[in-house]
Amino acid sequence: MIRRRLGRLALGVLAALAAGPARAQGKPPLVFTGIPDQDESRLVERFGKVARYLEDKLGVPVRYVPVKSYPAAVTAFTNGQVQLAWFGGFTGVQARRAVPGSHAIAQGAEDAAFKTYVIANSATGLKPGKDFPKTVAGQTFTFGARASTSGRLMPEYFIRQAFPGRTPEQVFARVGFSGDHTRTIQLVQSGAYAVGAVDYSVWDLDTKAGKVDPKAVSVIWESPPFPDYQWTVRADVDKTYGAGFTDRLRDALVGIADPAILEPFGRTRFIPVTDAAYEPLVEVGRATGLLD
Amino acid sequence: MAEPAIALENASAAYGDRTILSGIDLTVRAGERVALMGRSGAGKSTLIGLIQARAPERVALVPQAAALVRPLSVFHNVYMGRLDRRSTLHNLCTLVRPARADVVAVEAVLARVGLSEKLWARAGELSGGQQQRVSVARALYNGRPVLVGDEPVSALDRAQGGTILAELAAGHETVIVALHDVALALAHTDRIVVLEAGRIALDAPARSLDPGRLAPYYAAA
Amino acid sequence: MHPAPAGLGYAAVSRRFAAVALVCLLVADLHVTTLHPLADLARLLGGLVRPDFLAVEIRSVVYTVAFAVLGVGLGVGAGFLLAVPFARSRPVRLACAGLRAVHELFWALLLMQVFGLSATTGILAIALPYAGICAKVYAEIVEEADLSALRVLPPGTGAVSAFLYARLPETAARMRDYTLYRLECGLRSSLVLGFIGLPTMGFYLESAFRQGRYAEAGALLAVFYALIGTRRLWVRGVTLPVLLVGAVLALPPAIGSADVGASLTRFLGHDIVPAPLRTGDPTSPETWARLWAWFAPILTGQILPGILQTLILAQIALVATGLGALLLFPLTARRFAGRLGRPLGRVLLVVVRSTPEYMLAYVGLQLLGPSMLPAILALALHNAGIVAYLMGRHADAIPYRPDAPRGLDLYAYETVPRLYGQFLAYLLYRWELILRESAIFGILGVATLGFYVDAAISELRLDVAVILIAATAALTVAVDALSRRLRRRLRIDDLPTRLSGPQRIPCAEPGGG
Repeated sequence: MIRRRLGRLALGVLAALAAGPARAQGKPPLVFTGIPDQDESRLVERFGKVARYLEDKLGVPVRYVPVKSYPAAVTAFTNGQVQLAWFGGFTGVQARRAVPGSHAIAQGAEDAAFKTYVIANSATGLKPGKDFPKTVAGQTFTFGARASTSGRLMPEYFIRQAFPGRTPEQVFARVGFSGDHTRTIQLVQSGAYAVGAVDYSVWDLDTKAGKVDPKAVSVIWESPPFPDYQWTVRADVDKTYGAGFTDRLRDALVGIADPAILEPFGRTRFIPVTDAAYEPLVEVGRATGLLD
Repeated sequence: MAEPAIALENASAAYGDRTILSGIDLTVRAGERVALMGRSGAGKSTLIGLIQARAPERVALVPQAAALVRPLSVFHNVYMGRLDRRSTLHNLCTLVRPARADVVAVEAVLARVGLSEKLWARAGELSGGQQQRVSVARALYNGRPVLVGDEPVSALDRAQGGTILAELAAGHETVIVALHDVALALAHTDRIVVLEAGRIALDAPARSLDPGRLAPYYAAA
Repeated sequence: MHPAPAGLGYAAVSRRFAAVALVCLLVADLHVTTLHPLADLARLLGGLVRPDFLAVEIRSVVYTVAFAVLGVGLGVGAGFLLAVPFARSRPVRLACAGLRAVHELFWALLLMQVFGLSATTGILAIALPYAGICAKVYAEIVEEADLSALRVLPPGTGAVSAFLYARLPETAARMRDYTLYRLECGLRSSLVLGFIGLPTMGFYLESAFRQGRYAEAGALLAVFYALIGTRRLWVRGVTLPVLLVGAVLALPPAIGSADVGASLTRFLGHDIVPAPLRTGDPTSPETWARLWAWFAPILTGQILPGILQTLILAQIALVATGLGALLLFPLTARRFAGRLGRPLGRVLLVVVRSTPEYMLAYVGLQLLGPSMLPAILALALHNAGIVAYLMGRHADAIPYRPDAPRGLDLYAYETVPRLYGQFLAYLLYRWELILRESAIFGILGVATLGFYVDAAISELRLDVAVILIAATAALTVAVDALSRRLRRRLRIDDLPTRLSGPQRIPCAEPGGG
């Protein structure tokens, strides 16, 4: 008897929970994601605001789906689970190669000339300089995520240029992948790694947030500019939400003026962009062996 | 008169509410050699257990099952008879590399039961009779004054059993063994205690008895 | 004098394993790359003992259970069907070996390419390997059963009737125990799937650990232990239909509108086809030359070093597991822990074994940096907990003689020698599982096979990822075969090794002669 009552209770609870998220009415929701390049709480904040803004502007339900890794973001895009994504330069290239017809539509004003910082723990005694600091050879070194543009692809490219014929594994005593930029800063600041490569915008955000101890870690090199983050959209949104949707989406993104949305991105505004802007990254990807 | 080696007064034992032994008065003096006899189920093993529990610090036990640690060597099984008198450190070292003196001592004990050539054999590889002799050797090596054995020669032929009982008698001041072989009991002990249905039915010097006198206690029930 | 040590086979095998592990320790990367691991650990423990239950995302708990119930349900069902032809059909045995040789997380990474971050991915990632395991175990259970009743059935009895009357009743209890144990494993697997993005408790645990919200992590873990600890209360014959229906209803809604058909076609027809074969003419020798040119660097640069590191990690972890189990099992044995200590020891070991090793490794890597050290600790702790728990039960079943020694003497002369064969049987059985897990830890940054799989997936080279996963599976199958041969040579292959429910464990004293 008691068993049966327990069973019924369990069913009730499960059924109630299943009904939880209200399913969208009419049009399917526009689902988007972003590469998890920094602290998750900051991602949730910024993408939550973007979702509400876009829903308002476009009149379709918009949902943000968090993912745990860069390739998971690309996969969600290639298999159509998300129609829109905030990619890094390299993940954007990967995604657009895998999904014919998809295009980059907008980037941050800062992304046209993005930078990587090479940062070092102060115990190394490494000093800032204009040229790539060849003195880093023999130190321990951490990249960000494997598929990060500013944390992996570009730094690897600059390292290979500075040390011709050698891979990062041959240049450094130890090479790690921290997973994201926030973690890279923490690892170099704590001395776990002596040197690291980090996205300059995350460095600035974390410095502003008081998370960086200038006595423990500092920037020793600023890379030449390269194109980075962008919004990329699948071609099928026009079919789903009506012709011209891609343009409306681009206009909406470019029209974001609310500092409350822009600030957690570390961007002043978004500007239109085309795939061609990212051609240089394809070359870099081939040169470093990360692209075929 | 020698002081008692073991003294039980009105002892009893039960498993749950089933009485196994009751009203047992048994005093064994130092130097005596006692055979416990009786049909199986009469309570011999239980009485052996009571005797062992009465004075564990003076008893060397030969349990009914040989109770050897089969993956260990014969040497180690015999050496176990004195674990409690050595430091744990010495015991642990002996597992890895036995001391010469211990090996010699154990070898001598094994010679008395005719097993010296099996010193390094695995206990689990021996035959049933050999295992029983290792169990006896463990008690001999233990060397405590009161040898308490539960059918210590049951797996041996009569001639071998006699030799082993003689060794036990020579190695210990007092011997209390449960036996089922009447001839062996009469030849190798000086006092026979017969149990029947949990009570002592007969307690007499061995020289006053003959097989005919004991036969009723073994007749088919 | 050289005393031939007792239990020659056991001692020689143990020495050899330990010696290889020592050599491995010399070449293993045990570097600690974080600076304040102890301070971080203190913060972690501080948070764990002050759990913040309000932060627990209830839905993730429901999804964890739903994925486990449906994944295990599907796996068990398929396993049951596959068990029927298992003994007779070599292809079925091979297929099952392949299914179970690939870790749930690898399955999930592959399935994600087609089904995305969906319930389908979560359920299939559990169901596929579990079908392979269950088929093998159910077949073994039927094999081992006492089938005297089968022989006296009237001739002409149908196969189904014979199975229902003479085989099933003999084996049903053990199958039920094993299935319940599988559900416990399924809950662990389901949690771990969250670490790569599925919406189970692992998703929130990963975030909590990564960002140092240890009070939230503590609460999530407490809920998880409660789920596992009470499973006998909520998994019963009568609740089963409710659980299954409830799980289906409780599944997370599909995200987006993934076109599974197109994804599957692309995945099978393009993504996993080795790059040189996608465009080349398969009849031309030139294509095959290009295929070799493509494969050779993968073999020398990824597969071989990955296999080496995986074997090194597994070897050290296996021996560390053995040492840990020998140290821990007295905690749960009556003669050593006493009547009061034993329940506490059991609780400790149940908690340790309920903690997924992947999560332990994740936390260890956060604290110590990406070297083998945290991976070894995680594997040894989890597996030693499991083996010690079982050894403790065997130890309590030993019939000691009345004048048996006490303490360390009892341990060294009676208990361990008597249990040693059983101990080796458990360890050799866990070897394969430790290896599978060692490969997976690569995803976390240790340079085992999973490290290269993670790299390949990051570079969207699924063809490379599939080849690496296949190499991992082949390695697992090879180690499984080696382990079985060793167990047979040591004559411990008939001792229990399965870790299912409360079945009677026979007193384990390996026969020698």
